[in-house]
Amino acid sequence: MAAEPMIQCDNLTKRFGHFTAVDHVSFTVAKGSIFGFLGPNGSGKSTVIRMLCGLLEPSDGRATLAGFDVAKETEKIKSLIGYMSQKFSLYDELTVYENLTFYSRLYGLSGAALAKRREELITLTHLEPYLNRRASLLSGGWRQRLAMACSLVHRPSVLFLDEPTAGIDPVARRELWDLLFEFSSQGITLFVTTHYMDEAERCSHVGYIYMSKLVVCGEPDDLKQLPMVNPPDTKRIDVTCDHVTKGLQAIRHLPGVRTATVFGQSMHLLVDKTVSEEYIRGQLEKVNIPHADIRPIAPSLEDVFVALTTSSSNNGGGK
Amino acid sequence: MKPKHFHPFRGFTAILLKEFIVVLRDPMTLFFMLFPPIVEMIAFGYALDTDVKHMATLVLDEDRTMESRQIIDQFENTQTFRVVGEVHSVSELAEAIRRGKAYVGIEIPPDFTRNLHANRTARIQVLIDGSNSSIASSALNTALNIGFRNGLLTLAERIDLKDLPVEVRPQVLYNPEMRSPNFFIPGVIGVVLQIATVFATAMSLVRERERGTLEQLLVSPLSRWGLMLGKLVPYLCIGMLMGAALFAIMRYVFHVPIAGNVGTLMLGTLLYVFCLLSLGLLISTKAENQIQALQMSMMFILPSVFFSGFIFPRETMPAIFYWISCTLPATYYIELERAVVLRGASLMDFGFNLVVLGAMGAALFSLCALRFKQKIA
Repeated sequence: MAAEPMIQCDNLTKRFGHFTAVDHVSFTVAKGSIFGFLGPNGSGKSTVIRMLCGLLEPSDGRATLAGFDVAKETEKIKSLIGYMSQKFSLYDELTVYENLTFYSRLYGLSGAALAKRREELITLTHLEPYLNRRASLLSGGWRQRLAMACSLVHRPSVLFLDEPTAGIDPVARRELWDLLFEFSSQGITLFVTTHYMDEAERCSHVGYIYMSKLVVCGEPDDLKQLPMVNPPDTKRIDVTCDHVTKGLQAIRHLPGVRTATVFGQSMHLLVDKTVSEEYIRGQLEKVNIPHADIRPIAPSLEDVFVALTTSSSNNGGGK
Repeated sequence: MKPKHFHPFRGFTAILLKEFIVVLRDPMTLFFMLFPPIVEMIAFGYALDTDVKHMATLVLDEDRTMESRQIIDQFENTQTFRVVGEVHSVSELAEAIRRGKAYVGIEIPPDFTRNLHANRTARIQVLIDGSNSSIASSALNTALNIGFRNGLLTLAERIDLKDLPVEVRPQVLYNPEMRSPNFFIPGVIGVVLQIATVFATAMSLVRERERGTLEQLLVSPLSRWGLMLGKLVPYLCIGMLMGAALFAIMRYVFHVPIAGNVGTLMLGTLLYVFCLLSLGLLISTKAENQIQALQMSMMFILPSVFFSGFIFPRETMPAIFYWISCTLPATYYIELERAVVLRGASLMDFGFNLVVLGAMGAALFSLCALRFKQKIA
């Protein structure tokens, strides 16, 4: 997919005193894509978003959005971007309806245009039943819908969502993603930060930031093919059995087993090609786990990030 | 994209309408804006009444003659003293004052009348509780005055003079009864207006910063002038309402007549409140949380209480405090208020004060709009 770039970061850096929050980060987000930005807390995700929205001045490097420099042409990007911050910042004293009206006015809408846009957003986010409720009395999922509607009043080309699903129940989470796909189909570029790996799998592109540095960036399927994720002469297998945690203790320190992680009722292993299914079965029987279902699997995005994080922190000292 | 013209106050209406709803919906904000100033006004108004009247006085009359009773009557007739009882010994008198039963004790010795008629010095002893120096000195002066006057009249009688050779006839202008509320209450209004207004705007922007809504505003095309003015105008309305209420209390609760033009007074109040609100906004561009905003506001309000001429006359201050007082909006406002309320000064007489207040307000407002960064760090 060779779409034109919407966001381009070139060695984007932010220092707060002696602390480098974002360290020479470079990536490109294509127009119309859903870009998932992942990383642990404090790794610099929000700082990158704030720089791209023109809220923070980069200490070094530059970034452009639709060709405008985010630091120098801040006023120009304002009408192009929608931003939903971490806390779904709404005015608690205002009702749903009033919040929508306020943000519409803020973006220069008035009269019939305002009323029309407000109706569209209410329909889009299904907020009708709550119009007269104070924002403070909404549950997390509805607050987030309202915040999203408010960030869309001016039909932005790019929507930044900083952890939109933090603290939201699974149903609301899925509904939110349905909405995001709808926006994406309308041509809006989405830039989403998240902790959830299942959400990352839904993105067309992902970037992973760790300790202020961008570790990897690309399409999920490409990342799973990376040699660093699939070391030569190894394979990934899924072992489903009873007493998984007990089984893990028996398996993890065996020769040839490189990593072992529990996933619900099964464990994911990265083992040398020489390690056979019979060998693993035999080891499990020794600890009284008679039945084990073993099958080969592809790496998940989590596997990708774990592998890359481990190797980047191992290289970190030398580089 | 729709073509948009640059508008220096873009977003003003949005912020203005939102702010009105927020203020009216949040009863605590409204309560803390309106209630404390009115309570403080009433409390200050009564507490600062330094008129010395009807001080509890005990009498030890060991002479018990017509002359001694006349002297006691003269004390009571000044309105400064109110005889609350009689005692029978000097020690009892001293004890009553020590215990706070009375401020003043008058002792007339047994030989008072005899000495008076024998051309010897007739002595009266007056004991005054000096704990509160201003009350004590007022009592002291009144007592001494009675002594002088009696002495002079007796002397005049002896040398056959009908009238005293010199008599001062004072005429007190503007506050003929010399009621201290007339002087203090306008000053109190100047001081209490500060408390609510500075806090209100300082808090309102800081609260947005704390809640994260400020970030949401900053990514919008809202201009900083629009933001500042939208924040300021609702509080300006509330401030004016409060000003009107305070003047009504002054007029009808403390019975201070307004000699001058009410319009001039309100114009001054408008400029003053604008100044204070701009100052609050300036604080909010600096403060990171509500506690800091509160502390910074106090740093400004306290000097205003002491140096604005509200209690202590500016003219007698050491030079440094005088210069500090020149920088405070309260100084110019209180001066203006007193002139209009007490002396009926016109707009022209105190045009200078209005200009200074207006200039201070414009400067502070511009400063905070310019200082306000549309970045969060």
